[in-house]
Amino acid sequence: MAILEVRNLKKSFEDTEVIHDISFTMDEGETVTIIGSSGSGKTTLLRCLNFLETPDSGVIKVKDDILFDSDVPESMSEEAIRRKRLHFGLVFQSFNLFPQYTALENITLAPSLLAKEDTSIDASSIEENAKELLEKMGLSDRMGNYPHELSGGQQQRVAIARALALHPDILCFDEPTSALDPELTGEVLRVIKELAKQHTTMIIVTHEMSFAHDVSDKIIFMDKGVIAEEGTPEEVIDNPGNERTIQFLANYKNGK
Amino acid sequence: MFLTVTLTLLEGFLQTIKLFVLTLLFSLPLGLIISFGSMSKVQAIKVPVRFVIWVIRGTPLMLQLLVIYYGPGIIFNANVWGSGDGGRFVAALVAFVINYSCYFSEIYRGGIQSIPVGQYEAGQVLGMTKHQIFFKVVLLQVIKRIVPPISNEIITLVKDTSLARVIAVYEIIWEGQSFIKSAGIIWPLFYTGVFYLLFSGLLTLLFGRIERKLSYFR
Ligand SMILES: Nc1ncnc2c1ncn2[C@@H]1O[C@H](COP(=O)(O)OP(=O)(O)O)[C@@H](O)[C@H]1O
Ligand SMILES: [Mg+2]
Repeated sequence: MAILEVRNLKKSFEDTEVIHDISFTMDEGETVTIIGSSGSGKTTLLRCLNFLETPDSGVIKVKDDILFDSDVPESMSEEAIRRKRLHFGLVFQSFNLFPQYTALENITLAPSLLAKEDTSIDASSIEENAKELLEKMGLSDRMGNYPHELSGGQQQRVAIARALALHPDILCFDEPTSALDPELTGEVLRVIKELAKQHTTMIIVTHEMSFAHDVSDKIIFMDKGVIAEEGTPEEVIDNPGNERTIQFLANYKNGK
Repeated sequence: MFLTVTLTLLEGFLQTIKLFVLTLLFSLPLGLIISFGSMSKVQAIKVPVRFVIWVIRGTPLMLQLLVIYYGPGIIFNANVWGSGDGGRFVAALVAFVINYSCYFSEIYRGGIQSIPVGQYEAGQVLGMTKHQIFFKVVLLQVIKRIVPPISNEIITLVKDTSLARVIAVYEIIWEGQSFIKSAGIIWPLFYTGVFYLLFSGLLTLLFGRIERKLSYFR
């Protein structure tokens, strides 16, 4: 059964339609990678899933919950949206760690705040859990450091741990290595690969083609706000069928 | 003589400090409210608030003191400030509070608007409420950014309090000057500088400490 179903999603800013008509599904434990040239709407799609933007129309369904349906104008209150967001996690290109908190505190802040309103969350395990996540990220020795004391790659790994700490159904990454120096991308891609091995459900926007090829169960090629092609890495990257995919991949190879 | 002068000046300085403390007490919070007004999405709030800030920042505090003290009398033909020393002090306080809350509001606005939108969005995707994002994520970062400009403004306020003498609030300069007439000596007036120096030196030390306290993050 699909963990995520997106149907006929549309989003415009003023007059320009940025997401034209996007539908796709993904299964639990899958890694789906979105590729496509800059401006094709990848970020906007992730922002719609995370309710940082409200789609104009379409349906977003997680498991059996309809989170968004433009035909059923249900409550989209501040509070309702906040709850829906918890189905998704988002790792930003620019990390966006909270500078006044240590690596550990960055991870425990949101779970501790949630535990205050939801007594079913075991508050005593939050810190333990955060430490385990940092260990998984290879950052046990950096727990007490503030973001400005960490390298970009370390900051991004803290940000990944921070997102994981809330146990999202689907973790989204928006070009997680684009803001990093080339020598630091490896350490971040490695932890994402590790998460894929453990069947974390993920949607990853990236320009790292060989990484995408290795890690993905499915690749979506977006072009001008639509899905131009989708399939396995072998289908989309090795044997693209769509003219635009071929051109994008050719440009990409020449750029390298 | 030195002792008499010192005691008299101290009395004046007490007025200076009273004006200083009360101005801060009201204008620091009021400035925050004004800054929210100046950032409002509602034009009917934002435009008039920005207009008032523009007027206050664009005219001399000296003039504002005079207008606030004499204005109501001219318009309503009544003394709204109460009589005597107390009344003049209240008028001066009101003028200072209006003036300084406008300046503080602009510092707050700059501080709040300088926080990257990514900080809010990170809080949002982590399921935080608006309230939690402001108090747990944004506020301390804003405070860190506004401490240096606020300190500058506060030290300026120490010296600006001397303007209150235009409506005869007996602050320290007024007292210093009075010795010229009463005793024919001018040094007490110059001596007032020592009080200002000591006080602003103290404040500089205090703000330096706060800045250092907040230097653990960037
Ligand atoms: N908040 C916004 N307001 C107006 N236009 C926007 C906004 N966000 C994105 N866009 C536009 O939408 C298009 C797609 O942007 P984006 O989703 O960031 O693409 P990608 O992530 O694939 O590079 C771009 O043309 C961009 O200028
Ligand atoms: Mg993007």
